[in-house]
Amino acid sequence: MKNAPARTPEITSVLVRTIAKLLFLPILVTAVAMLIKGYAQPGDGFSAGVVGALGILLQYLAFGRRTAERLPLVGFAGKGVFAGLLIALLVAATPVFLGQPVFTHYPPAGASVIYVGTIELITALLFDTAVFLMVMGFVLGGVQMIAQTIADEDEYRGPEATGPEFDASAGTDVEPSSGGGRR
Amino acid sequence: MTDQTLLVLPAGIPWVLAAVFALLDGRRRWVGRIAAVGLGVSFVSMVALALRVLRDGPVEVVAGNWPAGVGIVLRADALGVAFAVVSIGVMLVSLLYEVSLGMRSRTFPAVVLFMAAGLTGLFLTGDIFNFYVFFEVSVTAAYVLTSYRERDYQVRAAFIFAIVNLFGSVVFLIAAASLYHVTGSLEMQTVAERLGETSPNSAITIAVAIFVAFSLKLGLFPFHFWLPAVYVGSHPPVAAILSGALANIGSYGLLRFGGILPDQLALGTYAVLILGSASIIYGALQSISRSDVSEVLAYSAIGQAGYILLALGLGGPVGFSAAVIYAVVNSLNKALLFLVAGLRGPLVGAAFAVGALSVAGVPPAVGFIAKIAVFKAALAAGAGGGTAGAVGTVVFVTVIFVGGALSFVYMFQIYQRVFLAREPQGGHVEKPSPRATRALVGVLAALVLVFGLWPEPLLVLGEEAAAVLTGSPGDVSGGGDSP
Repeated sequence: MKNAPARTPEITSVLVRTIAKLLFLPILVTAVAMLIKGYAQPGDGFSAGVVGALGILLQYLAFGRRTAERLPLVGFAGKGVFAGLLIALLVAATPVFLGQPVFTHYPPAGASVIYVGTIELITALLFDTAVFLMVMGFVLGGVQMIAQTIADEDEYRGPEATGPEFDASAGTDVEPSSGGGRR
Repeated sequence: MTDQTLLVLPAGIPWVLAAVFALLDGRRRWVGRIAAVGLGVSFVSMVALALRVLRDGPVEVVAGNWPAGVGIVLRADALGVAFAVVSIGVMLVSLLYEVSLGMRSRTFPAVVLFMAAGLTGLFLTGDIFNFYVFFEVSVTAAYVLTSYRERDYQVRAAFIFAIVNLFGSVVFLIAAASLYHVTGSLEMQTVAERLGETSPNSAITIAVAIFVAFSLKLGLFPFHFWLPAVYVGSHPPVAAILSGALANIGSYGLLRFGGILPDQLALGTYAVLILGSASIIYGALQSISRSDVSEVLAYSAIGQAGYILLALGLGGPVGFSAAVIYAVVNSLNKALLFLVAGLRGPLVGAAFAVGALSVAGVPPAVGFIAKIAVFKAALAAGAGGGTAGAVGTVVFVTVIFVGGALSFVYMFQIYQRVFLAREPQGGHVEKPSPRATRALVGVLAALVLVFGLWPEPLLVLGEEAAAVLTGSPGDVSGGGDSP
């Protein structure tokens, strides 16, 4: 417990931390660009979500769990999955109530599109944003869960345990001779 | 317009509710109740869709207003709705069962709803890749369900289940990719049309991969190794959902792809028939030698899946309709038996006896109708085949009969052990289960009897579904109106 915060900076070198800090914003900008330009150029909500999540994963690796979770909105990753799912379902289902097949996008082909800067406001973009939220939220949720598990194990092991890592972790989660327990 | 709404509702309701309920605490009573109501609405709309399909033929929508051949096709035909209705019905009953007993996990309702969404999507899609995606959605939900209650052996069962099913999924994904590679399409009807022109070598390899993938899901004889460990470890409603709803993916997949790859199915007839017979006998013998109720039921599931495979192998309109009927009836039986196995108190024994009779194929339970259908298929297959056909018929009728007799033995062995032998021991009288739960099981048992006495809806469903498979892929709607 006591050595957990102190140990974190030692894991990564100055080089890694500096690069992680430098790359953080460019990665997120790339992710957003992939998301909104996905129709004219390569990219979509899924790849944008993966790239964005990788950017935040890099912060986890470089600075440790506590610092990374202080980043804005990272704590809402889990909620983001469900928000994304609901938005996606809304986009899919709304046309049904207007008498069109599911997943009909608006405005329809040939109609004029509203531009905000160079962004085309179409429902497909909203759908991709939903996919982005889902993918990003899911990956971050997974990362957080793994980080939490590692932190719990460290706390469980305590500062005294200095033996090889394999022995200590093997003792905690694999129970010996449990084969025919329920018979 | 109404058709589209009808097609979207059964899958859409569980999707939206699942997303909302994932954020709520399922242990609260009202959450479970609303989830059950939502699933109930989905079930009702599914039944409405089924009636519509049986009356006027398949409903088809191309998503996104794309031209046909470009967009993803959603299609409800008799085969799909037959499986969808029974699967959602079983899940609804299991959810109600768990609600009436008190939910122990915050995620249970959401996971059940996710699975319902996946299953309805899977049964109502006309696109092979979509089929795979929905299949993954429902199976992923099933991994979580299997570990419900989180005892050691349940987590272990979930682990086995996840590994085996991921393997099956990969095999199926490879098959789907190969189908796309050789036909250039993922739309089921287009694939079926174009497969005739491809090299027989690649088609038969794909057919084998698909067969392995779905046999693994269904737990047929040589692929059954995971099944007992998972079913025995699971909590009763979870076991009911796994064997009454999720296993339907296996039987549906075998039937659906049997319709897409008819030549390959014909080529593999002997393999399919032999594996089916082996499954029946193996499952029955193993069941007899077990004493734990859920273990007997698990092995019985292997045997019962064998009948479906046997009927599929016998083929033709009679064989396919027998396979559909047997799959539907088997879902009902398994749901009833797994649910009853977890209960105690008055009328529970009677409900179990109804389920046992149904598995053994004794009238008036609905299992009789299913057994008769398979019998008919065996007789019809031998009718035109000369001496070889006659020998085959004798063999299969014997297998079906022996399987039925053995299932009678093992079902009543457990009936005796669990529901009769308990009284004389006397020492500890188990407290009866809540009345609502028992009533629920009673309704299911009544349903088994009602369909046994009035089998017309089931038979019509089976015939229509078989017509989807045997009819030429172009005009599926035309093959409907046989009495």
